[in-house]
Amino acid sequence: MAPNSRIELARRRARTAKATLGALTALVFGVAFVGAKTHAPGHAKGKATPLGAPPSFERAVRTNALQSGQIAPPASPPVVSSATS
Amino acid sequence: MSVDRFRSMGCDVAIAGGAPAAVAAVLERWEETFSLFRPESELSRVNRSPAGVLTVSPLFARALEVALAVADATEGLVDPTLCGRRHEVALAGRLLARPPRLPLDLNGVVKALAVDEAAAALDGPGFVSVGGDLAVRGAVEVALPAGGAIRVVAGGLATSGTASRGGHLVDPATGRASESCWEQVTASGATCLDADVAAKAGFLLGGHGPEWLDARGIPGRFVGVDGAVVENDAWAGAARKVQPCT
Repeated sequence: MAPNSRIELARRRARTAKATLGALTALVFGVAFVGAKTHAPGHAKGKATPLGAPPSFERAVRTNALQSGQIAPPASPPVVSSATS
Repeated sequence: MSVDRFRSMGCDVAIAGGAPAAVAAVLERWEETFSLFRPESELSRVNRSPAGVLTVSPLFARALEVALAVADATEGLVDPTLCGRRHEVALAGRLLARPPRLPLDLNGVVKALAVDEAAAALDGPGFVSVGGDLAVRGAVEVALPAGGAIRVVAGGLATSGTASRGGHLVDPATGRASESCWEQVTASGATCLDADVAAKAGFLLGGHGPEWLDARGIPGRFVGVDGAVVENDAWAGAARKVQPCT
């Protein structure tokens, strides 16, 4: 009876260990899955960043968007006038 | 230089170097699409539409695209919604999406775009001026508000302000007519559009106008409500520069 009992105890310990390992694995997988979904929905390794140009570049483009014309001192009487439109 | 004059887009038009009928046809095409005074213009119909997404004509899409770019370039000073809601307007090709009944006003760019298109169609050296906003092909002497003149060698020249039509420039920050310290602002641009946008922005910025234009290398001339004339550094430098003999 004693050897049977020892085998039975060992089997029970093995079952418990397997169940614990399985539960732990499922828990780790679940936490990782939810964490990835919550913190980086578009990428597995990090936070998604926009593909647009950096703000400094956008500022530079905005500053240079309007271009100057060419003016000079008049050389003859005006033929047309610029007035409020 | 022979100058032809007529009226279009609610303004006095002066042209040299091209056929008046051809220029009038260009201006009429823009007017019939964008006039807010014509109930059947495309802009009036878009503004009346309760739909959130609309298909617009290629000309409308082009003008709106420019207007949105101008709004970005001026940090919202010249805004097609006139109320700082330009980010709610989206354009993809000819598909326009905007909150239903959010009115658009493209007057900030339409006249200048029409002038640039008309000037590109001139037969040779000359100019097109609509209400004082002009684009040149070849050098042209232009009289300025409050006296004086300038030679526009290339590009365009435009004046914005309150002198002729009262407070028609809306400050998007308040949604009301601007209370600028300037009566008229004249700016030089690579195109009439650039000049017009620069003049409007310089006007709406009030006391900061001259330095804002200087930061972009754009010549600007400011006539205050008291009649005093202020030239920014870019204007003063260009207007006094002696042209080398060629």
